[in-house]
Amino acid sequence: MNLYINCFNRFMGCLGYLLNSALSLFPADIISTVEFNYSGELLATGDKGGRVVIFQHEQESKNRPHLRGEYNVYSTFQSHEPEFDYLKSLEIEEKINKIRWLPQQNAAHFLLSTNDKTIKLWKISERDKRAEGYNLKDEDGRLRDPFRITSLRVPVLMPMDLMVEASPRRIFANAHTYHINSISVNSDHETYLSADDLRINLWHLEITDRSFNIVDIKPANMEELTEVITAAECHPHQCNVFVYSSSKGTIRLCDMRAAALCDRHSKFFEEPEDPSSRSFFSEIISSISDVKFSHSGRYMMTRDYLSVKVWDLNMENRPVETYQVHEYLRSKLCSLYENDCIFDKFECCWNGSDSAIMTGSYNNFFRMFDRNTRRDITLEASRESSKPRATLKPRKVSTGGKRKKDEISVDSLDFNKKILHTAWHPKDNVIAVAATNNLYIFQDKIN
Amino acid sequence: MLGRGVKRKWSCLEDHVQQRQLVLGLCLEKLQRCQAGVELSLRRSVLLINTLRQIQEEMRSDGSDAQFDTPLDAADPDSRLLRCDIPVTCPGCAEGDKEGPSPPSVLPSLDTNSSPSPSKSLPAATHSTLSDAVNAVGYLSDLALDDIFEDIDTSMYETSDLVAGSFWPVSVSLWAEEEVKVRSAGPASAGTLQSCLMDLNELDHIMEILVKS
Repeated sequence: MNLYINCFNRFMGCLGYLLNSALSLFPADIISTVEFNYSGELLATGDKGGRVVIFQHEQESKNRPHLRGEYNVYSTFQSHEPEFDYLKSLEIEEKINKIRWLPQQNAAHFLLSTNDKTIKLWKISERDKRAEGYNLKDEDGRLRDPFRITSLRVPVLMPMDLMVEASPRRIFANAHTYHINSISVNSDHETYLSADDLRINLWHLEITDRSFNIVDIKPANMEELTEVITAAECHPHQCNVFVYSSSKGTIRLCDMRAAALCDRHSKFFEEPEDPSSRSFFSEIISSISDVKFSHSGRYMMTRDYLSVKVWDLNMENRPVETYQVHEYLRSKLCSLYENDCIFDKFECCWNGSDSAIMTGSYNNFFRMFDRNTRRDITLEASRESSKPRATLKPRKVSTGGKRKKDEISVDSLDFNKKILHTAWHPKDNVIAVAATNNLYIFQDKIN
Repeated sequence: MLGRGVKRKWSCLEDHVQQRQLVLGLCLEKLQRCQAGVELSLRRSVLLINTLRQIQEEMRSDGSDAQFDTPLDAADPDSRLLRCDIPVTCPGCAEGDKEGPSPPSVLPSLDTNSSPSPSKSLPAATHSTLSDAVNAVGYLSDLALDDIFEDIDTSMYETSDLVAGSFWPVSVSLWAEEEVKVRSAGPASAGTLQSCLMDLNELDHIMEILVKS
């Protein structure tokens, strides 16, 4: 059954949110993270300029029954500002490295956003009423002398235009010496972890002046440093379990019940290296750029430079599935090393039912893999395909031999157009793809 | 396809050596190329240094170091590099390094050990390159604050240091001056930072050799 591929073929570009004109490529507008909330109703993006933009799903319209409804801008706010570390004489970039939503508890929404050093908890709430009728202030807004207030007046709530407010609720600072690469909300909904290159900290969402260091791989002598933490995530159901990946291509699963400091892992996932494909770049390309648990919690997925691997948590010695993302780049590694692309950190995501996975590539291409049929597809995020009702056409890169019609040769790929961040709606076939400073939202066609 | 005689194999080997030189050269260049004022990615630096180590190991094991040895050694007796024993590890200044009295300060100009500390006489430009390169490897980024303040020294204002201080504004070529200093200081007094500079110096030499070869 290749139902999924059919779906992919029918994936329809319904929206192409051009947050910024493609002509004005301000570096600050480059999208650095994309994340749906738990219901999929909201989609948050963070950018290099420290801003967070939240999109909200609009209800289906009767005029356009073929669309599930669009995502429109709901709220925009400046989450982080550039700072300067005076002790180290270094700039701290405002770039948002990660956004994670908290499960919704009441009418308001909460999210965590982080740059290299500081994590912030934001509350996003709506206000459509205003209290009026106070007599404590005069017309200029100055407080009146209490002795001159002679009557008690109860303010009344008056309707007003809907306003969405984002307010910083907690600031978790000064706990990371290195660059924060991951944050992950725990399934207890009370704690979260934050990981930098060498350490992982565990926080309580209510407490900002204290965090517990749960992993520390910093050697006493930094000369001996050969490995860094590249990503970390909490298990979706077991609040004592988390994983972290390393620049050596390995993943460690830790159990916080075992010890307060999880320096000793409970499980160690590693695939033996294939000696036939060994090169100077072996270690660089095996470095894991992202790790994500499946929604079920049974599997996890890791992304390295050329492939995506799905691991069964019960099997440590090799992945259960390996998907090649752009194997044709193996012969180009030297130039990708030369132009630094080999250090790009591609992320990956699961669909809502864990039956498909998605990750990015170059030339504004992104890849989807159907785990059941083992079929895959390459799609392109472009303005062309984002016209309403335009169907995304599968793209193909010619790998040696004669280039067929409609195929693109490896040499003509644009390595400046890279898709590092993608997100999949938790329930529906709606995906968000960040291509430099453009956000594309595609949805599966509804018949 | 490969098994067509010795000649082909030889050219394969040559390709490999050539690629190795290219990778090595780029590695060094990437480690040295620094963006002023911005902390570099530790992941990238660690991956680059591991690659360097791997190449170093390979060169050592197949003895290819010997073939470059002679001419360079003759040209510059100081260049250990050619023998491929560059301490690729880190341009020297690890925290916890027992040799030096303290890790190199983030603010070398305030460095204050009364013992002859090479950082006092650092040319400004050397300092920035050095600290960037060292930052690239992450060494300076994790200094405890105490260390920094402990190191603040007023001795830089003392007259005895004026000679060394005169190096500061003149740095046109980072390494040339560095050599002068290293030699005058003598290897015995070489502290952490000094060895660090020497290492960088050597990396630079390797680069030159590679670029010219």
